[in-house]
Amino acid sequence: MAEKTLIMESNDGKKIEVPIDVASRSILIKNMIDDLPEGAFEEAIPISNVSENVLTKVIEWCTHHRSDPPSSGDDDDTRRKTTDIDEWDQKFMQVDQEMLFEIILAANYLDIKPLLDIGCKTVANMIKGKSPEEIRKTFNIQNDFTPEEEDQIRRENEWAEDR
Amino acid sequence: MSTEDNHTLHILPERHRSDASEPQDSGSFKSLFGGPSSEDGKETELDTHDHTHGFSSIKAPAKLASQNVAPFLARHIPEQYAPLGAQSILPAELSSANSKYCYRHRPDQKCRRQADEPSMDKLQRELESLPQGDQQSISHVWSMFSAAPAKHRKLILQGIMAQCCFPQLSYISATVRDLIRIDFITALPPEISFKILCYLDTTSLCKAAQVSRGWRALADDDVVWHRMCEQHIHRKCKKCGWGLPLLDRKRLRESKREIELRATTWDKESVEPQTPEASTEPDLSGKRKAEDDEVAVVKRQCSSLGPESGEVEKASDFYKTRYRPWKEVYKDRFKVGTNWKYGRCSIKSFKGHTNGVMCLQFEDNILATGSYDATIKIWDTETGEELRTLRGHESGIRCLQFDDTKLISGSMDRTIKVWNWRTGECISTYTGHRGGIIGLHFDASILASGSVDKTVKIWNFEDKSTFLLRGHTDWVNAVRVDTSSRTVFSASDDCTVRLWDLDSKTCIRTFHGHVGQVQQVVPLPREFEFEDHDAECENDAVSTTSSDADPPSMQASMGLEPNGAYNQSSAFGPSFDNGRAAPPRYMVTSALDSTIRLWETTTGRCLRTFFGHLEGVWALGADTLRIVSGAEDRMIKIWDPRTGKCERTFTGHSGPVTCIGLGDSRFATGSEDCEVRMYSFQS
Repeated sequence: MAEKTLIMESNDGKKIEVPIDVASRSILIKNMIDDLPEGAFEEAIPISNVSENVLTKVIEWCTHHRSDPPSSGDDDDTRRKTTDIDEWDQKFMQVDQEMLFEIILAANYLDIKPLLDIGCKTVANMIKGKSPEEIRKTFNIQNDFTPEEEDQIRRENEWAEDR
Repeated sequence: MSTEDNHTLHILPERHRSDASEPQDSGSFKSLFGGPSSEDGKETELDTHDHTHGFSSIKAPAKLASQNVAPFLARHIPEQYAPLGAQSILPAELSSANSKYCYRHRPDQKCRRQADEPSMDKLQRELESLPQGDQQSISHVWSMFSAAPAKHRKLILQGIMAQCCFPQLSYISATVRDLIRIDFITALPPEISFKILCYLDTTSLCKAAQVSRGWRALADDDVVWHRMCEQHIHRKCKKCGWGLPLLDRKRLRESKREIELRATTWDKESVEPQTPEASTEPDLSGKRKAEDDEVAVVKRQCSSLGPESGEVEKASDFYKTRYRPWKEVYKDRFKVGTNWKYGRCSIKSFKGHTNGVMCLQFEDNILATGSYDATIKIWDTETGEELRTLRGHESGIRCLQFDDTKLISGSMDRTIKVWNWRTGECISTYTGHRGGIIGLHFDASILASGSVDKTVKIWNFEDKSTFLLRGHTDWVNAVRVDTSSRTVFSASDDCTVRLWDLDSKTCIRTFHGHVGQVQQVVPLPREFEFEDHDAECENDAVSTTSSDADPPSMQASMGLEPNGAYNQSSAFGPSFDNGRAAPPRYMVTSALDSTIRLWETTTGRCLRTFFGHLEGVWALGADTLRIVSGAEDRMIKIWDPRTGKCERTFTGHSGPVTCIGLGDSRFATGSEDCEVRMYSFQS
């Protein structure tokens, strides 16, 4: 039985054929499918904000997670902010920062919440446990505080070390 | 690679201008590259590969190059020049779509400037060491690349990489990873940045606030700290095991929507005219201020570090909390939390009773104590001063409770008295038990009393009705009313705890397990969460159900979902089926068998037993974060209800500890040594 597919077109003009259940991990696409009549997808859906290599990566994720249960009520992370990421996702996120950045933006645009979550968690894990200087190094950030400000802010935040 | 873009070019002309003071060559090449993307030292090696690939045109003589290069540049750069002027409108567009312009080439972002300078200088020096002609052709290659649109750039790179040998590719792969470093937090839309920051722990968040101005603005924001407060205040965060004592949970809940809105509309420079503060502010402030006068009107202290321009300052005022920033709130609570954790406290003692102190309660700065000397004393906890003594009972006072308007006491003289504690006047006296009154509790209009006569009596203030609950076979030491479920818990010397239905006036559950007289029962707040349901302590703890609802409750106790039990009202019988609130799911009890027990009321199971006291446990206090107990052995112990661990032991009383009051940042204990001690963890 042939799988139902649709075609997504990246902003650099590449067309990628994707099974519908995979593409439906994107709520943006899913709503589009739900709204439009059958057969309306002969033409490619332009994903104007995402380039081919990023889109391919995102589809790889969606394919792996195609049969995940739909995300339960999105407020469930008020209680848990665990930054644990499952092993496959962790591997999946082992990409350079540019790709990670683009994946996060794409997940946001395509409305794929679980992917956005692991993207954000990945960045959070890069920040965790680091000193301000180490954080600056990790993300190549310029320290734009004056020494006086820096000192004052350090003192303001000292309380958090007492644990 | 560069998915990005033509927009790379938008910025080029401007950069050319800004660098104009520098020498021509360096000026152009510095601006052309985001980073050191080429190493000219490999030039000779490249030569050898050239032949095989037939790319020799790249190395063309200067003249030829300029013939090719000039038109190429002219073709691509001028047509890109126009959009530059339009770029100032960016912020709004960026935060929504964000991919129209490559974030790294946004006008407001200096891209890797500082970090690049040393390597740029190195590049410059190495270039200068070459003959003039070579310098020119290399420079042409670079400017050609820089002028090329994304598609061409990719092609050029492919061509170059195709010529690279392994050592060069290895050089690229080593260099590239280090070059791609992105300031996620300031480059992403604020909404996503907040999401990332919300995954951090307290310490990391405070480190993040020290990274740069951009980070500080986001990491200190109410959006993040409101979330932190939600996660930690009055409950233990599952991730870090850290819980903070309460504060106004109502305030926390009510500000949630406001905070969510803030997260989605957040903008650092927020020049958003659509929110005239005049219309929103007063109404907001009135509402919030009224319900929490503790909230100081503090402007965000970071404003001194914010943008200097008065215009911006004013416009962004809307986004600045007029009230205490949530980070401050969190910090205060955090300090109290660490003080609890490390046992850092100040101790005050209250002396004046001439016999053992048997009961106490405190609220704000008022402490009320009842004693075997037949008096009740009202103290000021701030000054330690004894404010007044309530006299009238003829025998020892065993229990009391007060609220804003009244104090109710129970005595061995078999009466209950209602007092105006502010004046010391006794308003009324109730008789009705045939023995001393040793436990009482009121909530809303229901008062329950437990007595030496083995009964629990319910007094309804509203309709003046009373009735007895019979079932215990020995003294009833403690009672607790739960108004929302219309139930009462009672603890007795018969070693059981009972749960009563006030509607049917029957006992709906009996908890067996203690092997000594049960002195106290404290239902835990409904927010209390307990995960480790399999850590059941023993099998000796079973409950019996005395209503005819046996089958459903058996079912419930066997297949109960650990977490979904809230709507399992039917575990308590059919009268809880139609929307009636279930009794609190967890309770703790203490007994003269020297143990404290944590129970699940839905199943009647004892989930945990706390061992450590050497003698009977007379006094007990508990909230979502901790259990505090006082015993015949003169010790006070603090326990973690989840792990069962005893976190700290306090000594100091010279007699058995008979009563305990627990607040979010302090607790008080009374003893047979006539003294009351208050331990404060406030910083």
